[in-house]
Amino acid sequence: MFKKWMGAALAVAGLALAATATAQAADPVRIGFSIAQTGLFAAAAPSQLNAYELWKEQVNATGGLDVGGTKRPIEFVMYDDQSNPEQTVKIYEKLITEDKVDLLLAPWGTPMHFAIAGVLEKHQFPMVGNSAASVQLRDLKPGNIWFPTSAIPDRMADELAKMLTANGAKTAAVLTNQLPFSLEIKQFLIPALDKAGIKVAVNDEYPPDVKDMTALLGKVKAANVDAVLALSYPNDSILYMNQAKEAGIKAPFQFVLVGPTIDFFGKMFGKDLDGIVTIGHWTPAKADWPKAKPFFDAYVAKFNANPDYLDSALAYMSCEILQQAVAKAGLDKAKIREAISTMTFDTINGPVKFEGVQNVTTPTSFLQFQDGKAQLVWPPEAATAPYKPRT
Amino acid sequence: MDLLLSPQLLAAALIAGVLYALVALGLNLIYGTMRLLNVAHGELVMLGGYVAYWSFALLGAGPWPALILSPLATGLLGDALYRGLFRQLLANSALAQRIEANSLLLFFGVSIILQNLVSLAFTATPRGYQPFAAMVDLGAANLTGGRLLALFVAGIVTIAAVLLLRFNTVGLAIKALIQNREAASLAGIDIEKLERWSFVAGFAIAGLAGALVSMVEQLSPFMGFPYMIAAFVIIILGGLGNLTGSLIGGLVLGLLETYGVALTSPNYRSILVYGVFIAVLLVRPQGLLGRARIVR
Repeated sequence: MFKKWMGAALAVAGLALAATATAQAADPVRIGFSIAQTGLFAAAAPSQLNAYELWKEQVNATGGLDVGGTKRPIEFVMYDDQSNPEQTVKIYEKLITEDKVDLLLAPWGTPMHFAIAGVLEKHQFPMVGNSAASVQLRDLKPGNIWFPTSAIPDRMADELAKMLTANGAKTAAVLTNQLPFSLEIKQFLIPALDKAGIKVAVNDEYPPDVKDMTALLGKVKAANVDAVLALSYPNDSILYMNQAKEAGIKAPFQFVLVGPTIDFFGKMFGKDLDGIVTIGHWTPAKADWPKAKPFFDAYVAKFNANPDYLDSALAYMSCEILQQAVAKAGLDKAKIREAISTMTFDTINGPVKFEGVQNVTTPTSFLQFQDGKAQLVWPPEAATAPYKPRT
Repeated sequence: MDLLLSPQLLAAALIAGVLYALVALGLNLIYGTMRLLNVAHGELVMLGGYVAYWSFALLGAGPWPALILSPLATGLLGDALYRGLFRQLLANSALAQRIEANSLLLFFGVSIILQNLVSLAFTATPRGYQPFAAMVDLGAANLTGGRLLALFVAGIVTIAAVLLLRFNTVGLAIKALIQNREAASLAGIDIEKLERWSFVAGFAIAGLAGALVSMVEQLSPFMGFPYMIAAFVIIILGGLGNLTGSLIGGLVLGLLETYGVALTSPNYRSILVYGVFIAVLLVRPQGLLGRARIVR
């Protein structure tokens, strides 16, 4: 009888001790998001997720996220959205209303960002976006979503036309993958090229599941253009790289839209990647951005692979912006909104300031691979290395 | 016109055709012979691709080990699956009545498990490699080393497989198996051994195809689906169970895709392929080389 009482008393004492112990350790900050772990975008999402994980690890190593003065460890609440925008909407609703997370990070991809903009508006929950680029972003109501990217299709088209003119290109071939982002760029690119007086000798589209580009590239080779602009995605970018070489395309300016910034692409093509121009506004080579190289090195050390120069950089930037906003404003949504809308942030991509939903400090830029490294070659005033025609 | 007659385009068409033929050959050995609806066939190609990628990355001996390791890996998997799951399914006459439906469910599960296991193990990050950095100038056409290798190996293996099975008693036994399983067994053919052999061979060939595909395309855990669809189209087009038919069907598909697209535009690829597929089936439901059969 006595033993039973003793046992019970000890149990209660133990529980009480445990309760006080956990109450004394800082409450974690719960950050929720969904990511495409399966489905169509699953191949692209790891570059973003890795950046998130790296950020969490680095912040927790310093004691946690600075929430208005107090440091609290970060805890992720993550779900697989299966590359499905409807699923993403449901997940973010759940994160806000049921899981009651403190902060949100963005999913991967333009369609997902658009899908959840409404959810964020409804619950007045601010979130910094990253992997989204479209002119329609400007139509979104500011206040709960922001986009740090500068790779917006219409500006890209203008800058690309300027870059071609600056390098004396008179003729161009445009090959477009029939996906929303590439089609949007083409929509602005053709008029921009016409305006710049550049003759578009070949202008063809192809479906995303294309298996062979020999016929298309034969046409491009026959047209003997100064610039080949392949608005392609990783799978067809690979086809382009291989089959353009086979077809003997020797245009001095070759642009490949999505693919070159991904780690495996560089490893796959080695020296052949040199001279290829692609989209991107971040490079570890920029000395003006002291945080750029350390991020690159830390990513390589943790994942044994290069970060994606576009997606990983943007994802990490969105984390930095959130971090700096929360340090100033704590977890109050209205204060965070105020902070993100007004502060100038110090990121791995230099300073970032938003006007409305857009980042107005980072110029629309292009990268070129030289000796296996990504260099910023446009605009000339921000370049880390001069553009070199592809030999 | 110049472009259409170019050897470069012909090479591209042949490569596509012979890779398709190889994948279809594997499926024919499984669906054509035993009516097992292998919807995981694309995943086997994917697995073969990953084994090839890792053998290239880790062994440093070029793409050659992959040509043995990939079919070995998928073949062993096939053996395990046959002994674990499918032998009972085939032997039980009650279950065998609805063999297509039952095997569809089983293989569907296998496909999902394989996709997600690979995704967990290697993450969904796409991977690719170049087996040879050099280009090969064949005079009239230029090919990257990887594509040339794919052309050769796929070509040799498909032709060898077709010839082997045509002029060999095993081929005859398979034809008997296709015609009537019970009767073939009564005629003294070791059905179980034959089925197991066919199953494993089908898996192994898919793995080899995967190794070759990995040399020309990017790899990801979810890349298998289009190959599975193409394989089914080809074996139905060529005639179920008829291996020569799947060789011809694969070549037809490859040529149709490449030349059709060159004549029209890449957007017409699906219309052309499925259009021809439907047209052939309307005129000859048993496929180009299939034998008209009375359903049991």
